Amino acid sequence: MNRRWVLAALVLAFAAPASARDEKPLLRWGGDKNGGAPYIFEAADGKLTGFEVEFAEYIARELGRTPRFVQNQWDNLPDLLKRGDIDVVLNGYEFTKERHDDTPSTVPYYVYSLRLIARQSEPDIFSWADLGRQNEPKRVGVLRGSASQRYLEGRFGNKVRIEGSETVTEMLDLVQAGQVDLTVQDAPAAAYYVTPERYPGLKVIDEPAGYGYYVLLTRPDDAELREKLNAAIRKAVSSGWLKQLYQKYGLWNPAQQRLSYLAGQPWPDAAAEFATDDAGYAPPDPPKLSGILDKLLTAAAYTILLAVASFPIAMVIGLVVAVGRVYGPWPVRALFTIYVEVLRGTPLLLQLFVIFYLPSQLSKIEGWEWMSALALNKWAAAIIGLALNYSANEAENYRAGLMAVPKGQMEAALALGFTKWAALRYVILPQAFRIVIPPVTNDFIALFKDTAVCSTVMIVELTGLYYAYKVYPNLVLELALAVGLLYLLMSYPTAVLARWFERRLALTKEGGRA
Amino acid sequence: MIRVTNLVKQHGQTPILNGATLEVQKGQVAALVGPSGSGKSTLLRCVNGLEAFQEGEIAVGDALKLTGGSAPPKAALLALRRTVGMVFQQFNLFPHMTALKNVMSGPVYALGKPEAEAEATAKGLLARVGLADKHDAKPAQLSGGQQQRVAIARALAVNPAAILFDEPTSALDPKMSAEVMRVIDDLADDAALQVAMVIVTHDLAAVRRIADVVHVLGGGKVTFSGPPDEAFAPNGPAADLL
Ligand SMILES: Nc1ncnc2c1ncn2[C@@H]1O[C@H](COP(=O)(O)OP(=O)(O)O)[C@@H](O)[C@H]1O
Ligand SMILES: [Mg+2]
Repeated sequence: MNRRWVLAALVLAFAAPASARDEKPLLRWGGDKNGGAPYIFEAADGKLTGFEVEFAEYIARELGRTPRFVQNQWDNLPDLLKRGDIDVVLNGYEFTKERHDDTPSTVPYYVYSLRLIARQSEPDIFSWADLGRQNEPKRVGVLRGSASQRYLEGRFGNKVRIEGSETVTEMLDLVQAGQVDLTVQDAPAAAYYVTPERYPGLKVIDEPAGYGYYVLLTRPDDAELREKLNAAIRKAVSSGWLKQLYQKYGLWNPAQQRLSYLAGQPWPDAAAEFATDDAGYAPPDPPKLSGILDKLLTAAAYTILLAVASFPIAMVIGLVVAVGRVYGPWPVRALFTIYVEVLRGTPLLLQLFVIFYLPSQLSKIEGWEWMSALALNKWAAAIIGLALNYSANEAENYRAGLMAVPKGQMEAALALGFTKWAALRYVILPQAFRIVIPPVTNDFIALFKDTAVCSTVMIVELTGLYYAYKVYPNLVLELALAVGLLYLLMSYPTAVLARWFERRLALTKEGGRA
Repeated sequence: MIRVTNLVKQHGQTPILNGATLEVQKGQVAALVGPSGSGKSTLLRCVNGLEAFQEGEIAVGDALKLTGGSAPPKAALLALRRTVGMVFQQFNLFPHMTALKNVMSGPVYALGKPEAEAEATAKGLLARVGLADKHDAKPAQLSGGQQQRVAIARALAVNPAAILFDEPTSALDPKMSAEVMRVIDDLADDAALQVAMVIVTHDLAAVRRIADVVHVLGGGKVTFSGPPDEAFAPNGPAADLL
């Protein structure tokens, strides 16, 4: 019975579409088109374009397969590959030894380098080396998990403060708005975006550095596919097809001549032949958990800081909103109801994006330059975002608490000659406070976990740290366990403390008889 | 002291009071009786400003007046409530405060009296209602009768000119009921106190004992006002309540 279902599903999934349109099997290739020019992006007419799109079409043609683009967040593409959702990752993935062990690579199709990008008005940095000479470390943005991140960590260590984003354009916006000082991006992206038309406020500094290779990633057991891919790439190199492609996109440079040489060498052994860049820098060994312990503890401290800083604000706003909704005149009630419903009805992640990225993006529009004044630094954005989001929950908690206080309490206070505000302050709120302890502490624990979204505004709290280091396959399991354990160490004592507090208050109320 | 004139009160379309009139003199003990649902509580709550009414007038003392159909100014309501205290069937003590703090709450939070002065007064009042040893007890640690006695002390603490009792013993068993009634008797007998009292109760024996005057409520109106003997006489206006 079960097996027949599976069979039917397989027939539906594969046979039907194939026979309907196209006899050729699919080549599902994964990439991230968001802010992805000139690699993969949507042209003005909505059509998928970019040098990697044309390259994928070429490869598929050589393999006798139909290319099918699968969109996914860049740093998660290898996970998608391992899960089997795509056949190959083709999106500016750099060769590294560890990555090759995890998801074996093909021969390279591009020799990339890294470019340092700053605001036109950058006062201190005029070369790569200047980064290492600052008393106050510069904030340098990278694509999370990219070669830029590893290059900066390896060459400058704690001399720079690394900020991770998910897309190139997001980071360029942040630099232009002054929320990040500089960014390191791959040369093709830098050449495409850092132009007077696209980012007039930015410039490229110094020579390229950190040379490396873009490769396709495959699953370890797909040796046959890998061989076919290698053959197709070698043909593209030797026939001059790739050179033409890169010339069309303005990406051809002398460094690409290495491709012809490498195409004839055994892979990945040949990768070591160009292991140092022009600055004499060699890529470091992959980090170990013991080596990033200080970073782990800092990340844990950030998680605590975010929760502890934002929750009191949420409680105060929530209290004002709840009292307004229960006791205020109707315009106040209406306004606060909208406030609560909007904040509860939209995702925290979206709210955080709007607060952090929207002002700097809008400031690029003519006549909206003043919006850059609203571009908050990431800490302010994260704390305000969390506080606003949770204030809606707290408002609902307090509202329930206020309504759970018997009506007779307000009447007794009024009958004694209390003003409404005195009655609230001395009679109603102290009782409501006791009622809401359990839901409020629950929210506080939930907030600890929700601080994870702050990794999207470049704060390397625990989840952000995990994201930044999960590119190292040797580290990922230990790191996941360590991060999970740290979260647990935060939320469990809070829960215990809350229960104790609740019991203590209940005890006084029951006069110690409970 | 309290004069209610032609009071009309509806809940939505339902008429509750339909031209009720009564008067309570300074220092007088008045009983308000009538069948259940006749509007006794509603009348007391109107006098205390806890409920608005549609028509008529309520005057307290020489200066305070509420008029039907219009929202009274906040200052007038506040002044009224500081003149007229209320004791509820369900006690309504503040559960998070000790007995002493409950009694101090009016003077401190409503009248702005210094804590020390309020505390001295509160201790005296708790002694008067027989609870000198319960200063630090929370309401949940007290019996119903004790709670109601604290509530009476709390109402007295703001030094009102009148206190309204809405079925103060109905939630209590006979023994505790008697304890509370003893306190009310004591207040009624205190010639020096000069507090007008309006008591809604089903305890007709108590009414006979302490009331100077009985008002009978029926059909939304006060149908009789007169001495207890007359009210409870065979075939008298309140005879069917016996
Ligand atoms: N909030 C309310 N809404 C509608 N009807 C009410 C409300 N409160 C009281 N009533 C009605 O008003 C009438 C008088 O109530 P009440 O004053 O409590 O009577 P009593 O105290 O004499 O028993 C009752 O019929 C009751 O059902
Ligand atoms: Mg009643």
